[in-house]
Amino acid sequence: MSALPAVRRRGARSPGSGRRSSRVKTTIGTAALLVAAVYVIAPIYWLVVASSKSTSQLFATSTFLPPVHLSWGANFRSLFSFGSGEFKYWLANSFVYAIVTATLATAVSTLCGYGLAKYRFRFRKTIFGLVVGSLMVPATALVVPLFLLEHDVGLINSYQGVILPMLVYPFGVYFMSIFAADAVPDTLVDASRIDGAGELRIFWQIARPILMPGMVTLFLLSFIGTWNNYFLPLVLLGDTTKFPLTVGLSTWASDLNQAGVSQPLYPEVLLGSLVSVLPMLVLFPFLQKYVARGLTFGAIAGE
Amino acid sequence: MAVQDVGRPAPVGSTARGGRKAPRARSASPAARGRSGFGMTAPFLVLFAGFFVAPIVYSIVLSLRSPATGAYAGLLNYRTVLSDGAFWSGVQRMAYFGVVQVSVMIGLAIVLALFLDSPYCRGRKFFALVYFLPYAVPGVIAAIMWGFLLEPDLDSALRIPRILGITGSTVNPLDFRLALYAIMLIVTWEFTGYNMTILLTSLTNVPRQVLEAAKIDGCSELSIAARIKLPLIRRTVVFIVILSIIGTLQLFNEPMILNDIANIGSSYTPNQMIYNTAFSFGNEQLAAAQSVVLAVITVVATVAFYTIVRRRIDPFAASKEGA
Repeated sequence: MSALPAVRRRGARSPGSGRRSSRVKTTIGTAALLVAAVYVIAPIYWLVVASSKSTSQLFATSTFLPPVHLSWGANFRSLFSFGSGEFKYWLANSFVYAIVTATLATAVSTLCGYGLAKYRFRFRKTIFGLVVGSLMVPATALVVPLFLLEHDVGLINSYQGVILPMLVYPFGVYFMSIFAADAVPDTLVDASRIDGAGELRIFWQIARPILMPGMVTLFLLSFIGTWNNYFLPLVLLGDTTKFPLTVGLSTWASDLNQAGVSQPLYPEVLLGSLVSVLPMLVLFPFLQKYVARGLTFGAIAGE
Repeated sequence: MAVQDVGRPAPVGSTARGGRKAPRARSASPAARGRSGFGMTAPFLVLFAGFFVAPIVYSIVLSLRSPATGAYAGLLNYRTVLSDGAFWSGVQRMAYFGVVQVSVMIGLAIVLALFLDSPYCRGRKFFALVYFLPYAVPGVIAAIMWGFLLEPDLDSALRIPRILGITGSTVNPLDFRLALYAIMLIVTWEFTGYNMTILLTSLTNVPRQVLEAAKIDGCSELSIAARIKLPLIRRTVVFIVILSIIGTLQLFNEPMILNDIANIGSSYTPNQMIYNTAFSFGNEQLAAAQSVVLAVITVVATVAFYTIVRRRIDPFAASKEGA
């Protein structure tokens, strides 16, 4: 009842004025969104500009303006040659950690999720409960305990020591079990059995192609998580040639603060940071869809 | 048992070469099949036992041992943690951080998501992508970028208030008092878009008929957003708040890097303190106890928050949100 006058008032307005007011609102709304976008882009833009400056330019030129003479070439050479070229190890290591971890974590999680979704066996519910329960345990809470354990079994300071803990990916299992339950029809699995296929062959030849989109999502989430990880490799690694980019760059950044320790590495830290974010930023527009699907999964499943 | 399997090939007809072949029954019995299913979970379970359960158990055992002798010491380390002022001031700092930063970030994420979901925005896809970008930037790199941007020697813009005479001296956002707000700025930059992305997906699941009906009733976009969309995504809001509370209590990368750049202190957050107890002071037993206490605090904070809001989201859950 009370809505009626409102409708009439709205109807009385000429269509033109309505369009005009909505155009004003659109302009205001888009302007507000632009302000937020500047907050997001400004530091990245600054990183690009600052990485083109020499140390003296960095302190002498205006913060957000590019220098008259770009020093990218010199900075690049120094980035890859400083400290007997340790940066190239870090770059390679980050790729090794991220690719190996993402591949294996996706394989392990997919197999387990599919097993939980498509088979009935004892302890199935217990395992599922464990997986869901461990979703609530933040990975960082395990870092120091992992160090203590790996220290005693001699896994410290090795590639395996960093990769193995990251293969435990409860979210991946949870995601895949629900994905597989929806995507792989039981009738298809049964039909393949009648045709005489073994269970693993059914998984590999029938289910895997169907599960592929979900596997891409898991691979990307795990890749980004590993590439960005800092705490775990910081704690587990001592040998600088095994560092990933995050840990390596943080050691350079901490040298900035200690007076008298060699030269301050401003250009190297800045250009190194840019190099370590650039591949992902360039690929992100193409990957956004897959990544977003993984992130929103937990929230939507709860709705 | 096998009979049941033979009795089920109704769907066989759906495959072209179905029925002709006799069931060769390589995995005929459901029991054998169940074993295959269990076998598929085995690689995960082995890793889970070794790198998830074992460290937890090990750190509990270690936390009960004396740092000096390594012998069983009961709750000695826990008494040390509970009476340690520095540890609790770190927890308190994170509680304050959580209340301020999480509110601002989630509020901002909600506003941005509702804006992007409204008809009053152009370039929706572009903005959704831009806001999500920081997700691809490692926390360490974000902290390095912002750390330099907030350093008065490097950022000429920070000198403007002094030149204009607003402040007496150049404001240093990285001094001990202001560093907390600097970290808030960084974390908000990192995760607002992440949370907005989750909310935006949730908003696209709001049934269009409901929104159409509201529009026909003369409901303005603002009240559609506030009274229809927001209540319908409240479970997602609760979900991302819980994730944020957990993330806040575990904060490590940003204070660690800011301490490298600007000496904000090595026990600024609980996790940073645990790291230093274990690696600067070599007191692994105490670090283990601190880890356990922090984990308990995290669980208690999460459950407390959920208990408070549950009453608000549950009574309508069945009738309004359906499945």
